[in-house]
Amino acid sequence: MIRHILQRLLVATIRFLAAGMGLLVLMEFSFLVLAGSKVHLWDATAWGAVPVELSPRPLDWSELLRLRGEATARILLLAVPGSLLIGYSWGIPGARLRRQRAATLLAAPFAALACVPGFWFVGLVAIYSYFHWHRPGFANELVVERGPDLLTWWHAAVVALPALVGAAAWQIRAVAAVLEREVARPWVRGAFIAGANDEEIFYRRALRRSLVPLLDLSDRAIPVLLGSLVVLEPAFRYPGIGSLLVESIRLGSYPGIFFASLFLTALTTIATLMREVLSPPTLSA
Amino acid sequence: MNRRQSKTTRAVRSAVVRIWQMRKAFLLSIPYFLLLGWLYSGGVEGDIRPGELYGAREIPEWKAPDREHWFGTGPNGVDLFELSRHAMAISVSAAVVAVSLGIGLAALLTSLFVFDLNEGRFDWLGRVTRVSRLVPGMVVLVLFTGISGGSLLLAIAGIAGVVALHFAPVLARWFQEGEEGFDIVAARVLGLSRQEILRSRVLPSVLRRLPGVFATFVPVAVLAEMSLSFLGFTGERLSVGLMVAHGQAYLIEAPWMAVYPGVFATGVVLALSLLGWRVSTALRTGPLPRVL
Repeated sequence: MIRHILQRLLVATIRFLAAGMGLLVLMEFSFLVLAGSKVHLWDATAWGAVPVELSPRPLDWSELLRLRGEATARILLLAVPGSLLIGYSWGIPGARLRRQRAATLLAAPFAALACVPGFWFVGLVAIYSYFHWHRPGFANELVVERGPDLLTWWHAAVVALPALVGAAAWQIRAVAAVLEREVARPWVRGAFIAGANDEEIFYRRALRRSLVPLLDLSDRAIPVLLGSLVVLEPAFRYPGIGSLLVESIRLGSYPGIFFASLFLTALTTIATLMREVLSPPTLSA
Repeated sequence: MNRRQSKTTRAVRSAVVRIWQMRKAFLLSIPYFLLLGWLYSGGVEGDIRPGELYGAREIPEWKAPDREHWFGTGPNGVDLFELSRHAMAISVSAAVVAVSLGIGLAALLTSLFVFDLNEGRFDWLGRVTRVSRLVPGMVVLVLFTGISGGSLLLAIAGIAGVVALHFAPVLARWFQEGEEGFDIVAARVLGLSRQEILRSRVLPSVLRRLPGVFATFVPVAVLAEMSLSFLGFTGERLSVGLMVAHGQAYLIEAPWMAVYPGVFATGVVLALSLLGWRVSTALRTGPLPRVL
């Protein structure tokens, strides 16, 4: 087991380093070839201090990344377990009731909501908050001095909601597809002839046999979810890593762009590593 | 009377049979053409700059939605319904080009390895795509288009690249699966070469699924293009994303300017998604990875 974990850790480190190199190449190409900049990534002048526009009070890059990372972690804490919970808890009954096309019906509301542009949703929230609470914006200027900081979590939840629905719709369909593939195998017919009923075949045998491929789906939606935050966070003026990336691009800040994109890549790598560690060694290999 | 049919008759018959087999896909292409035809039949023409349309004016000429202007009008009195239709036509065109290029690029990448005799011929492709998947597709797009100042061409190239990197391993898997059937074993026993098997047996079944892939990826690419334009990374060019971004400045005085273009975009993306699911189901494309 320890050997398996170490092996996966090594592979994840190599992949992460390769992805980091890829990001550097993409940045160098975009700055030099497309934008016509004269500054290379390896020039010392490219890696300055945190611009004032990114942080009103003086911070170093590690401090800024920590603050922004904490803000993004709040969204992920709501969106990732939410999408997995909805995906698995709706996808399994969806596959069980496959003759009634339950998976499609259960995924339909989420899939329809996933067609809504997330950046447009911000306008609806702003209009609602203005006309019902008589406050434009998202209560950024309110400081909670006593009790739990519910406003911060409310702000994170509003950003997490459009990110969650798309991931949940995909997860429901993917979970149902794995189980439907399993129950279409020849052994099911054999079990049925042997006298097992539908419930026993599905919940005791098919579900148990599909545990590994179902686990394999657990990290698939995370890169897309993180990608959606790059659009949603600036739209909601949420101070997370996605906002940091977009603001850094607008300012042309090399370290901001690199650290923010590397942070998002690291989160995907961690999710993939966790899935690979939890999977049986034969599957990961 | 038991005469052998001529080559022409056989070819016509097999073509008719194939068209009949793909009748659902052909029927589904009718609403596609109707939707695209309606989008392109708008009265707005020429190069429209949203910055000029939404620029601040001393006396704004906007009007709330009424029977004449369903979505209301902008600060200079332009009809927002027609403007949204024109913007969506541009976004859909960009998405269609980007996805076509992406699928073509993925096919090109796969074709570099597909005729290789080695068993693990797709290993390198798998390794590269596993690494590239660690970087979220939207991050790549934002880096590619944003750093350079932004343009529609770069957005198209970026979306095409992301689609290609995510779709290439799926295409490789289809080729591998296509070579595993009993009919392929029979073809080998009959003495057909690997190239002949790939060209005559595997390739047609892979090509048959591609319209489903295209139909599934187009609404995703439309959303990605609109998101990039919302962030201001596709240049000063008309798009629903930019219309919503400019409209947010008047959210209290004239909320329809940000809300109704979004409603229009949602409707079009929903219609494209529904058609995409139907086409991919009709062609049995199978599950596809989430790209953006």
